[in-house]
Amino acid sequence: MTEILRTPAGWPSILLDRADAKAPTDLDAATAAGAFDGLRRAIHDLGPTGTIAEVAAAGLRGRGGAGYPTGKKWRAAAEVEAPRRFAVANGYGADPACHTDRMLLLRDPYAVVEGLAIAAYAAGASEAFIAVRAEDTDVVAAVAAAIGEATEAGFLGPDVLGSGHDIFMSVRPVQGAYMLGEETVLLKALEGKRGQPEQRPPYPTERGLFGMPTVVNNVQTVAAVPWIVRNGAAAFAAIGDPASPGTVLVQLRTPGGDGIAEVPLGTPLRDVIALGAAMPAGRSLQAVLVGGPSGGLLPPDVLDTPYTFEALRSAGAHMGSGSVVVVDDRTDLVELIGVLTRFCSSEACGKSIPCRIGTKRLAEIVTRREDGLARPTDNALGQDLAADIVASALCDHERLATIPYTSGMRYFASAFDSASRPEPAATETPR
Amino acid sequence: MSFIPGLGIAKGMALTLRRFFEPKVTIKYPEERYEVAPKFRGRLQLLYDEWGTLKCETCFQCAQACPIECIDMGGVDTRGRYHVHWGPPEQYGERREESALRRSGRPVPDPAFLPFQPIDLAEVDAVLDEYDHDPNRMLDILEGTQGAYGYLPVAALKRISHATGAWYATIYGTASFYGHLRFEPPTATDQAAAVARHRPAESSYLAALDAALVGNGHPGAQTQARA
Repeated sequence: MTEILRTPAGWPSILLDRADAKAPTDLDAATAAGAFDGLRRAIHDLGPTGTIAEVAAAGLRGRGGAGYPTGKKWRAAAEVEAPRRFAVANGYGADPACHTDRMLLLRDPYAVVEGLAIAAYAAGASEAFIAVRAEDTDVVAAVAAAIGEATEAGFLGPDVLGSGHDIFMSVRPVQGAYMLGEETVLLKALEGKRGQPEQRPPYPTERGLFGMPTVVNNVQTVAAVPWIVRNGAAAFAAIGDPASPGTVLVQLRTPGGDGIAEVPLGTPLRDVIALGAAMPAGRSLQAVLVGGPSGGLLPPDVLDTPYTFEALRSAGAHMGSGSVVVVDDRTDLVELIGVLTRFCSSEACGKSIPCRIGTKRLAEIVTRREDGLARPTDNALGQDLAADIVASALCDHERLATIPYTSGMRYFASAFDSASRPEPAATETPR
Repeated sequence: MSFIPGLGIAKGMALTLRRFFEPKVTIKYPEERYEVAPKFRGRLQLLYDEWGTLKCETCFQCAQACPIECIDMGGVDTRGRYHVHWGPPEQYGERREESALRRSGRPVPDPAFLPFQPIDLAEVDAVLDEYDHDPNRMLDILEGTQGAYGYLPVAALKRISHATGAWYATIYGTASFYGHLRFEPPTATDQAAAVARHRPAESSYLAALDAALVGNGHPGAQTQARA
């Protein structure tokens, strides 16, 4: 299991508050440490609208990558007239190299269970699902055990804590596609359908699972909710960046090793990287890959960019899966961009044609460059193609799949020069 | 031909006058939008590329949208899977070559027809009972069926379609999307390789990422294992 990196003293710990517990699924130990106090306060003191107002005042934003305000999302779902509502915590963790969601669910399943229960209570949902990776059998077992314990203790099930509100929660293992990280695709999988995204609007808060209003939140988002309800919105809003308060989990990968750290939003990228092992002797930082398989490559001179949704986006990357990879000077960036672009292309679901064919052509352009067979028009063609794919995007995967290429062209255009590439083999002639 | 002068033009003008007062059909797009049925897909047409092969990727989106379930298809899907449903192979354009071979009397190895072999349906019925014949639990049903047979035989998919009421196209569309579901026995390694070429497993992405990040033999690279 990936280790948790030590963060400097004074950095807040919200998500990993109870992560060092010996037995994470032991309910008595967890309640002694404060679990389900938030649910009690939400039900007895705040009420559904009060809870939504508290979360909205805290400024909590979706950790799945898009950064949509969570309170706004809950309110939208609660306001739609419907016979049933659903709440879904997305713990699929689509990025295969990023284990933050898995770690959170393993170390502190009650944070997610309680947060999702509060979300379901606030949005008026009576059924809640935690979607996890089916391959991670230990996560499935831990979450199922936590839900069972909590149901037995009366924190879930019919008439939760005397509120008159039912919350039936279950774990739903899903597998088989990278696209399951996208919310509408995940809902399709929970309905037992082909996992292709839906056009938005209508958003899932209006018409989601089985056509009913559905709140879909990342597990990191819901795990922060109990803390907010316990400690108040003002305390949460004071942490991190004023526009996007709170902390996120970052999967850090450096040439010296891997680790997961809890980082307040707004921390400069330089400080995030400093949490990991130092550069090996004689090596220098070439780039930082922020955001997972569809992440952007940032050069060393923009490392002062704060780790927030907007700042990363304007720098040409995005928060994505929460993965930060330090790339040293041994790495061939074109090859790295090729690996990422080919992955994004092969995992495209095929619903939207610019995505299905465009990302494939983009991958071919990068592969040609890798093989030293690039055509003179390839750079312009790639830029045009990437812009077209983004402009016609149906879902976030399509919107982001070109970022490895576009950020590479933006900051590391010289790496794409033919001169810096190996000579093509003698038998192959450039077309 | 009329012998009354001016009758033709009078008829025409009468029609014009009638249409003039009728409600207008033309709308001011894009300010006004026409109500389009959610399953409307326009005119469906099969396209061929410059080499004369079908561009259809057997994604089953048209079959899933078809309100009377009249579309069926065979061909190579996005994961390189060669799949023909039912009906004579001559119906399917992309199978021309093989069917010509077959008519010539030579034996043709045809893995595409293996899924049509009859199977013992008791196991799929047990799975269906377990999930209450509920089409909303389709992924669980498919995973259970694959657990029982080792793969998803076409006969089992048809049984699931009959028992749950879900369309075959929808079930096939679901089953062909998820990477862990397969239509061939695990022993069909060449088919598995074709699938992996179209959509490599996560492990191969991780391996490629590892290789890219340590330099992989490029100038200045150092062979060093990553922790």
